[in-house]
Amino acid sequence: MSFWNEFFSKLYIGVLTTLQLLAVAIPSSIILGIFIGVLRVYGGKIEKTLANLYVHIFRGFPLLVTLMIMFFGLADIGIRLTPYWAAALAIIVCSSAYQSEYVRMSILSIDEGQSLAARSLGMKRSVEILYIILPQAFRIAFPGIGNEIIYMILYSSLAYIVGVNEIFSVAISVNSIWFKPTEVFLTTALIYLAMTTMASYGLKKLERKLWIPGFETDVKR
Amino acid sequence: MVKDLYKRYGDKAVLRGVSFEVEKGKVKVIMGPSGTGKTTLLKCIDMLVKPDSGKIWLEDLELTDPRIDVSEARRKIGFVFQEFNLFHHLTAIKNVMIGLTKVKKLPRGEARAIAERSLLKVHIDRELWDKYPAQLSGGQKQRVAIARALAMEPMIMLYDEPTSALDPQLTREVLEVIKELAEDGMTSLIVTHEVGFASEVADEIMIMIDGRIVERGDPRSIIYDPRREETRKFFNKIMKIGDELR
Repeated sequence: MSFWNEFFSKLYIGVLTTLQLLAVAIPSSIILGIFIGVLRVYGGKIEKTLANLYVHIFRGFPLLVTLMIMFFGLADIGIRLTPYWAAALAIIVCSSAYQSEYVRMSILSIDEGQSLAARSLGMKRSVEILYIILPQAFRIAFPGIGNEIIYMILYSSLAYIVGVNEIFSVAISVNSIWFKPTEVFLTTALIYLAMTTMASYGLKKLERKLWIPGFETDVKR
Repeated sequence: MVKDLYKRYGDKAVLRGVSFEVEKGKVKVIMGPSGTGKTTLLKCIDMLVKPDSGKIWLEDLELTDPRIDVSEARRKIGFVFQEFNLFHHLTAIKNVMIGLTKVKKLPRGEARAIAERSLLKVHIDRELWDKYPAQLSGGQKQRVAIARALAMEPMIMLYDEPTSALDPQLTREVLEVIKELAEDGMTSLIVTHEVGFASEVADEIMIMIDGRIVERGDPRSIIYDPRREETRKFFNKIMKIGDELR
């Protein structure tokens, strides 16, 4: 088999694996990020402390190290994760910690009148958060969350370290056989670029769709 | 009915023993200089701020009883804020519907019908129903806010300086609506600085100074023939500002 034939047939599998990883990591980290962000603002003393500790820890660990812990460290205490799940979990905990910060800040930026009005209508806290605060906070946090999505696409390449057969690990293994680093890594870089380009385009579309007068982001300016 | 309400923030006593009653179908107006606890009083009545002591009843339900479900009680009290506080992410009609669907758990169709009726009552026409708050004028926003409170079919409406954030022209359209509702028999407690409006709409005016109600009575005697010096001073001051504006 020629170099390009082998490279592309393996890359195809790699791209699928990366996409599978992201398909789990992106939505889970957003949901978890929102949940932790809400706890950090509205939780009781214990919830708040735990949520803050979570953020403190996973923002303080390098993703590469978290990956190793999820794969090797957890295996030591009897929790054996496949490389795929160890990588997904590491990306989720790391990114959700960052995202909770965007969510927390956007909740705090919403004026108190919104909460007063919600309560004056007889809304319980949970209803208020779900239907009044979060729809607004999500729109404010959106650019930050979008950034995190781009990061996740790029940092998914770190999953090669625990043996996930994603794009970057394909590149490494093909290069070790053929030793054509320029071709291999330039192609790899272009694939990541294509994915982030599509993601930015999608995010822009979504942002426009979510746009509401009064929530001016860079769409209109 | 409010009895002996006290509230302090830190070492500042904001409410110092306030008692009064708003009878069903009546309109009471509270006036007084800024910073004398009027907003705090209204917020206490809706339990948005917890009073330190004193009791509040809504007919025979004691709102200050710690065992009651406060959110359940709040839906029976309509609150109109100085800064409107419309939900920014919802259109006019959805602002009115959300209390009906998420608090009263009414089906969408029914909620929409009630919301439409409420909006028409405050003279918000159909073409504005799908506009977002940022696309409405101040007067329109406040009228939507009134409709939002009204749609919950409250037993009493509390208005906290409903026109203070509006220019004179928009003030009129909002006061007009409040007056119409009052004439329809809506029990109301209104905090306002609009003397003319107060004298037209109020069954009784209460003057609040430094956390106390210092004088109360029918509008005519309170405004033109107050018994207390501080009431006289207060009216002189706001009338004079009015004259200067004219």
